[in-house]
Amino acid sequence: MSRGNGLDPKQRRALAQSLTRILDASVEEALAGLADAGPEPAQRLGMTGPPGAGKSMLICRLAARRLERDRRIGVLAIDPTSPVSQGSILGDRVRMETVAEHPALYVRSVPSRRAHDGLCDNIADLLLTMEGFGFDDVVLETVGVGQVEFAVRSLVDTVVLVLVPESGDTIQAMKAGILETADVIVVNKADLPGAGKIRAEVNAIIRRKKGDGGWLPPVIMASATEDNGIDELDDAIERHAAWLAEHRDREATRRERSRYHMQNLLLRRASEVLDGTAAESFDDALPQLFDRLVAGLTESREDKVGRRT
Amino acid sequence: MSLKGKRILIAKPGLDGHDVGAKVIALALRDAGADVIYTGLRKSPEHIARVAVDEDVDAVGLSILSGSHKELVSEIVARLDDLDAGDIKVFVGGTIPPADHEDLKGSGAAGVFTAEMTIDEVLAEMDRELAP
Ligand SMILES: Nc1nc2c(ncn2[C@@H]2O[C@H](COP(=O)(O)OP(=O)(O)OP(=O)(O)O)[C@@H](O)[C@H]2O)c(=O)[nH]1
Ligand SMILES: [Mg+2]
Repeated sequence: MSRGNGLDPKQRRALAQSLTRILDASVEEALAGLADAGPEPAQRLGMTGPPGAGKSMLICRLAARRLERDRRIGVLAIDPTSPVSQGSILGDRVRMETVAEHPALYVRSVPSRRAHDGLCDNIADLLLTMEGFGFDDVVLETVGVGQVEFAVRSLVDTVVLVLVPESGDTIQAMKAGILETADVIVVNKADLPGAGKIRAEVNAIIRRKKGDGGWLPPVIMASATEDNGIDELDDAIERHAAWLAEHRDREATRRERSRYHMQNLLLRRASEVLDGTAAESFDDALPQLFDRLVAGLTESREDKVGRRT
Repeated sequence: MSLKGKRILIAKPGLDGHDVGAKVIALALRDAGADVIYTGLRKSPEHIARVAVDEDVDAVGLSILSGSHKELVSEIVARLDDLDAGDIKVFVGGTIPPADHEDLKGSGAAGVFTAEMTIDEVLAEMDRELAP
């Protein structure tokens, strides 16, 4: 894998344009564009946690450490699409300015579009494309809706959950079981009061997992603004990677990713069919309509265009 | 309006520290369906061009209140050309005297917006320029 070398301007432009094509691709186009043999997989990191927890800034700090080790790093930063206008404001990169000029870093802002799982419509395809450009690390920043972001679990190697002292985030996380899906937990904004209390709470919950012989998520105190605790975070990620190398069932991981990818393609296909259905059709009896739309799932776009004209 | 699905970078080059106008335009573009990438204050032309390429935007909207719009616009257009990205359109808005409009268009600005224009006029012109 490419060590120490940045992306030249031509590669950047090619990568950026491929990602746009994938973002806008229909399911059929996405399927046609899938590479046969998967590229060398990158180390995939997921940063998740409530809005404003400091995910972007932590990615920036972490990237600074990892770039020093000559790693090529790609970041996909997802922000929410407005359900009203379908537009978005993508502001994650504002917090990544201190490393933004590094030749071995590539940051792409991505709108969530229709996805409701904290990711975006074509995320699985985007990740594969990034890997095709020889990144050592691919970092995924989820939208930060906080409660339902299990999906990232299926796509990355290490899930980093970012919590903050303010608010009852941990309680919410417990309810949704998110703590259990995280590999590394960061209590960010440890410069603010209340961080120690959150750590104690989280530790109490995590400890219950102890004894099943699995990976026990470390809880790390950090401050992205003061650049504290980042070495510990980096170290925890590397320890988790080493643990995975020894204990992970590769076959099961591959299948899980493939399953998520397929679920994603099927849901998008269903949306395409719904979007292409005339409003009056929804007057029909549901069972008949259902059968007709299901039949439509396998109809290719060309067929449909051909029939309309 | 077909700004839906367009990717637009809103950037503030130069030294002035007022980004209210930039934020208002960013929100209006989002409400018109665009995906808006926002970078912070005081960005260099090199930085703006690189972000425009990395984000594969259709257009860059510059907000300039410092008076150095002529230098900054030609500099950014040149940096985009260096990166083989001359097809990315550059719009500029801010406190720009009417006498400078033609010059700016001459240096490659696709549109020049003044404080006298309504948001709708700005959106309509961007829409026209970005139509395929
Ligand atoms: N006091 C303090 N503030 C922080 C810290 N880390 C981040 N912040 C602030 O928190 C705010 C949000 O930071 P971001 O990095 O944008 O958070 P995020 O989780 O990426 O936010 P979204 O992407 O909008 O969900 C910013 O104003 C930061 O300055 C920290 O360690 N301490
Ligand atoms: Mg963020």
